[in-house]
Amino acid sequence: MMKQFKKAFTNLSTNSNNVRCLSKRIRKYPVDPQQTETLPIFQYRVSKQGYRRVFAWGNLETGALGVRYTENKHNTDIMRSLKFPRRLTFGEQFEVTTAACGFGYTLFGINSNTNVKLYGAGINTDSQIGYHEVRENKPLGILFRPQPIPLPFINPNKSKILKLAAGRAHSIVLTSEGIFTFGNNSYGQCGRNIISDEDYIMSNYIQHITNLDGKNIVDIECGQDHSLALTEDGSVYSCGWGADGQTGLSHCNNIAQFTKVGGDIENEKIVKLACRSDFVLALNDKGDVFGWGNTEYHQITLPKEDQQVCVPTYIDMLRKFGKIISIGSGGTFCVVVNEHGHVYSWGYGLLGVGPAVQQSKVPLRIPESLFGRNDFQPNNVVQKVVCGLNHAAAITNLGDLFTWEEIGTVALDWA
Amino acid sequence: MNILQLTFAILKPHIVKHPIALEEIRNIILTSNFKIVRSKRKTIAMREAEEFYAEHRDKFFFNRLVTFMTSGPSDLLILAKENAIVDWRRLMGPTKAYKALFEAPDSIRGRFGLSDTRNATHGSDSEESARREIGVFFPDFDIDKWYREQEPLFRNDKVIFCKELFIHQPTT
Repeated sequence: MMKQFKKAFTNLSTNSNNVRCLSKRIRKYPVDPQQTETLPIFQYRVSKQGYRRVFAWGNLETGALGVRYTENKHNTDIMRSLKFPRRLTFGEQFEVTTAACGFGYTLFGINSNTNVKLYGAGINTDSQIGYHEVRENKPLGILFRPQPIPLPFINPNKSKILKLAAGRAHSIVLTSEGIFTFGNNSYGQCGRNIISDEDYIMSNYIQHITNLDGKNIVDIECGQDHSLALTEDGSVYSCGWGADGQTGLSHCNNIAQFTKVGGDIENEKIVKLACRSDFVLALNDKGDVFGWGNTEYHQITLPKEDQQVCVPTYIDMLRKFGKIISIGSGGTFCVVVNEHGHVYSWGYGLLGVGPAVQQSKVPLRIPESLFGRNDFQPNNVVQKVVCGLNHAAAITNLGDLFTWEEIGTVALDWA
Repeated sequence: MNILQLTFAILKPHIVKHPIALEEIRNIILTSNFKIVRSKRKTIAMREAEEFYAEHRDKFFFNRLVTFMTSGPSDLLILAKENAIVDWRRLMGPTKAYKALFEAPDSIRGRFGLSDTRNATHGSDSEESARREIGVFFPDFDIDKWYREQEPLFRNDKVIFCKELFIHQPTT
């Protein structure tokens, strides 16, 4: 680094006719160019290209953020939540490439050549962040620092973690070798057979699914107690709790194996899935949106006022907004953004169009000015929306993150 | 002091798996002056859940309610206090946890509920249903005998609290 700096420095001096001149004023006593070689060089630290930082905020009590409870040793007041994003030291130690948040725990995927490419912190009562013991047969219920989770990779040198998904108490890791699932399996959400009275806290079992019907898995998504996988040809597979129809398999039973979802999406090429609780949204390559699961808060208005839909259904009311590019589904509401960057939300809760709690069966457009579009930034458009259980977030093309939620609730995301 | 009332409470499976929430709800029970008469942790069997929620048998949410309740261990509690039924339901907040978040954010369901089904706790709605619900999960607990023999001890605070079992026991 020092060498590069010197090189740049010499270029600079030759350009200005062999006079070292950093400001426009001419020096009273010009520096001898030969002497510059012997002068001490000071350089500020600069960030690496593609350097990723991890920021976290929200509830601290479960240890999911891997942050100390106390501000410092002089101020020992216990903090219950982080009300502003804080940089995690974990992100400085490792090259974090992806992260996911579940109910009281967090997973971090890092770049590494070993079989430890995954770290987790927070609640571990269902082994959702692997099996960690302090003494023999005394597994840890809560981890307050990110701990390594070794995964049984076939080829640890080459494989990479592509995406993480976390449900209420189960985790799915998408890698270049297929998916790994672990954690609570009481509804079959890990894609393996349900064992009644299984003790999940003592479990170090990791299920490895290399492909589904011979097709590679390209995307994953978790509801609270069910799992969804997207294969390379655009078909959707699901398993887990189906009592609200959230598996989309035309029945309301638990299913313990990943099974292909039919209905309106049977012949569609799905490119994105969104689910945080019990209602699933799916987006196809033409920009059409489909939904299934619990619609008690009118995520889909059904003709007979039914509150569950167990077959994927085309959402016709979004047709007039044109091509949809990003979708999000929270506990009681949905958010979508179309190709012009217009954001629409519907359902129940804080929909982002005013401070009051609202119930709307039809999509409401959130004014662009709330996402920072003004006379100074006329080209600022929303590109991506994400939902948590009770909050939503949007990212614009300028890289700005906007969130909206009930004050006092907790959110965790990563930037 | 008036005679104590019994109510039946369940801390649902997702709370039992969340050590911080469990601790907090137990603290709420103790600081609100409830006496814990019986306490046990078990995974509810499907037969028990169907009997317990018999009144909801024809509702659309019956299947998801019983599959959720049988998905893992729950804490089953018999609580005693003056006006126990009303007080416990007031602490719990509205049944729908998604609405409780806005309508009663400080209630148990507003703080720890995850969805309308995963709404953290259950409480009896009347004395008859408390009697019936206790009968389902504590078949050997004789309510009338308890009122005859132990109620005066609980009422006059002649009990000690056992932290490990999370139960109040008469001192005699």
